[in-house]
Amino acid sequence: MTKVVIDPITRIEGHLRITCVVENGKVTDAWNTATMFRGFEIFMKDRDPKSIWQFAQRICGVCPTPHAYNSVRAVENAAGMKTVPDSVRLIRNMMETTQLAYDHILWFYHLNGFDYVNVPNALNAKPGTPGLKAVQDQVKAVVDSGQLGPFANMYWDHPGYKLPADMDLEITAHYLQALDIQQKACDASAVLGGRYPMINNYVPGGVTQMPSIEDIEFYISQMGIVKDFIDTVMVPDLLAIAPYYLDLATYGKGVGNFLTWGVLDEKSQDPYDRLFPRGGIFDGKLALEKVDLAEARKYTKTSWFPDDLGGGKHPLEVGQIPQQFTKMPAMDGTAGPAANDKYDWTQALRYGKEVRPMEVGPLAQVLVAYLAGRPEAKKLVDDTLAAIGHAGDPTVLLSNLGRVAARVLKAKINSDNALRWANELLANIGSGETKIYEELDFSKDGTGESGWDAPRGALAHYAKIKGGKIDTYAANPPSNWNLSPRDDNGVRGPVEEALVGIPVVDTEKPLEILRTVHTFDP
Amino acid sequence: MEHEEMSLFPGLSRRDFLKSCGALAGLIGLSGPMAAPRVARALEQMAKRPSVVWSCFQECLGCSINLLQSRKPNPANLILQQISLDYHEAVMAAAGSQAEKSFRETVDSKDFYYVVEGGIATGIPEACTIGGKTSMDICKDTYQKAKATIAIGTCATYGGIQAAKPNPTGSKGVADFLREDGGIKDPVVINSPRCPGNADDTVAILLYAIVNKKLPELDSLGRPKFLFGQTVHDNCERRGHFDAGEFVEQFGDEGSQEGWCLYKVGCKGPVAYAPCPKTRWNANTAWPVSAGGPCIACSEPDFWDKHSPFYEKAPGIMLPGDITPTQIGVGLGALTAAGIGAHFVGQAATGRLFKGAPVEGQNEPGSEEGGK
Repeated sequence: MTKVVIDPITRIEGHLRITCVVENGKVTDAWNTATMFRGFEIFMKDRDPKSIWQFAQRICGVCPTPHAYNSVRAVENAAGMKTVPDSVRLIRNMMETTQLAYDHILWFYHLNGFDYVNVPNALNAKPGTPGLKAVQDQVKAVVDSGQLGPFANMYWDHPGYKLPADMDLEITAHYLQALDIQQKACDASAVLGGRYPMINNYVPGGVTQMPSIEDIEFYISQMGIVKDFIDTVMVPDLLAIAPYYLDLATYGKGVGNFLTWGVLDEKSQDPYDRLFPRGGIFDGKLALEKVDLAEARKYTKTSWFPDDLGGGKHPLEVGQIPQQFTKMPAMDGTAGPAANDKYDWTQALRYGKEVRPMEVGPLAQVLVAYLAGRPEAKKLVDDTLAAIGHAGDPTVLLSNLGRVAARVLKAKINSDNALRWANELLANIGSGETKIYEELDFSKDGTGESGWDAPRGALAHYAKIKGGKIDTYAANPPSNWNLSPRDDNGVRGPVEEALVGIPVVDTEKPLEILRTVHTFDP
Repeated sequence: MEHEEMSLFPGLSRRDFLKSCGALAGLIGLSGPMAAPRVARALEQMAKRPSVVWSCFQECLGCSINLLQSRKPNPANLILQQISLDYHEAVMAAAGSQAEKSFRETVDSKDFYYVVEGGIATGIPEACTIGGKTSMDICKDTYQKAKATIAIGTCATYGGIQAAKPNPTGSKGVADFLREDGGIKDPVVINSPRCPGNADDTVAILLYAIVNKKLPELDSLGRPKFLFGQTVHDNCERRGHFDAGEFVEQFGDEGSQEGWCLYKVGCKGPVAYAPCPKTRWNANTAWPVSAGGPCIACSEPDFWDKHSPFYEKAPGIMLPGDITPTQIGVGLGALTAAGIGAHFVGQAATGRLFKGAPVEGQNEPGSEEGGK
């Protein structure tokens, strides 16, 4: 038996340690430990409800926009604003579209890419075009300089890297190209929102201004470039890589429960009618269930908070969270985590009275859209299954391969619809439907909630307003679900469960663990 | 032709290289015909690319995401050709003990620039650990070995959002941590605040140090004067509307579509020292005020407490229309001739208005006040 500790897990947002027990070449137990705590819910108390979204979007600098969205919606909801003017819906959709586009590109190439693409091996390629030759020269110059920078000390000699050199070179070229493409989406976000990340055009009650026609046209042109890249480079890259890594379809299944609050509103503003609709899947049965934001429950027995703080309470009932740090498990894995240890800054988030751990993210979003019969999801999923030799069998997606593929498919559905929101907004402007703001009254006490997925999965905010101030605030980000520690019953969280059973051919070079964790985009 | 083969900038022609140096020179405030060659010479004289170690502590990664929005140079060029980014957890391929190896190799060489993103957890040290070591231990040790240390973003400079009251984890900026908890009497840290930290600032500061072989002149808050010497209000494109007394009264009103001044809906531009209106964001495409949202003064220490609520009028700032004879008597004599009518107050005169008027929470660069 070997205990493998990886700290830091790199190419993620935040700070994470993974501890695995490996026996006979397989992971038999796993723990995830978030090693950073900031205390948002504590310092958000007693603040001005209208300003609170500026705090909330700083929860995540990779995905501030959905945090901003949920925060303004939660306090709007608390102030009695049930729906927003149609042009506000469209402007917020456009903002979210740019966020999703850049985020999924960044994940596929820059965060996840090195797990499958062997950059030094690109030197063995025979470049077919001057462009690829230039990229190869660039890689060679970095290697020859002896200053390997971000490529240094990776497990490049691991047998798990399976692409031919020509593909390693081509996708390295796309890695560099994608750095420029993600900027196109972020620029569109900046023109509408003032800058990216940390936007400035949201405000409870609507948005700060109607974008000019020029700004809308800028968004259209930028998102056109992004869509072209996703269609002609990113989707083909997925389909080209997949055949070399089909073993990924055989492990990383996880808990089999999926949750999405949905994202991108259609005109109805009904969360079950979104481009990515709201819904749940339970116990690995591919059947669609309705879900309720109030069924999110917190447990704290294994995290660094008092045992009874969680106890299955609603996020707002947990209230302010006094920390109770005990000890960090030893780096070498010799001392814990053991059965009853506290080992995480993350609180365990579970769903409903069944206390289910829920996987969230593009796989959940795409599966729910597929089961809800959204035509774009249905066609893309069916085509992808056929392309990888599993026609008609969506259960193969309940795996590491499924998580990787779902992110790319979701990026495509998102960019395919990018222009629709802009055209609808232009039509609204044409017909004079230009209301973008309504002054809200926060002097009355009230409670509000909002569920709208971040790129990496289900995100919900809850706000209780009392005496004109935030009395209690709670945010349940996607990594709170995926990277939940064990709950009070000792049941593992989704990433922990997905790790159990995966092969590890070399415990000194645990590439398979990195791959599995990265499929969750933590 | 002798410059065709430059190991520093593979794949770049001499012309492209000089063009890139020209853009870089602009970033650090160099101008004139010799600016680009001067930058080029400084970069060519280096035997190797300057090594950068980038620590993420209590942060949201927003500063790094903005670094990816850099255009002059673009991120690939910056990371692979102009510097050697030897440690950055969000970018590097290696993880765990292999990442730790990259870190040790670079830090022990003592030949690197240190960039910090995020606050240092001093109240609960275990609220931020990497590889089992606390942010306090990592930051102090690395600072002592670095050629220069740059704090990027308002968290690394002043503690940032997690230092908002009641600062649950005792989060501090790098300089404050080193001085107050690290036992270092006069730490030298270049502060580049804003939330997120701005890519152009980061590149400009690194380059300034490399080209000029010295650190830029800093104000009392540790900010380079060449970047943070003026207020947002001083350079705002909507300043004329302030002077003319044209204000947005409510989002979505006529003034908001006309691009009028956001002061009455909460703009903190008069107390924010930052180059946003000049350099803008995301390759010059926009800045927070261009989207019709008020400036939240994200460059200022404790802005989460001092300058919120963000959508209410900042206290202590007088409007042209607010001027009374008494106030004129106190310090605005020069305005009398212009008359009280808001539409007649000229830009030059309002410059005096601000210098003469007491502004709550203002941190005058170079003054002894205003420290954290």
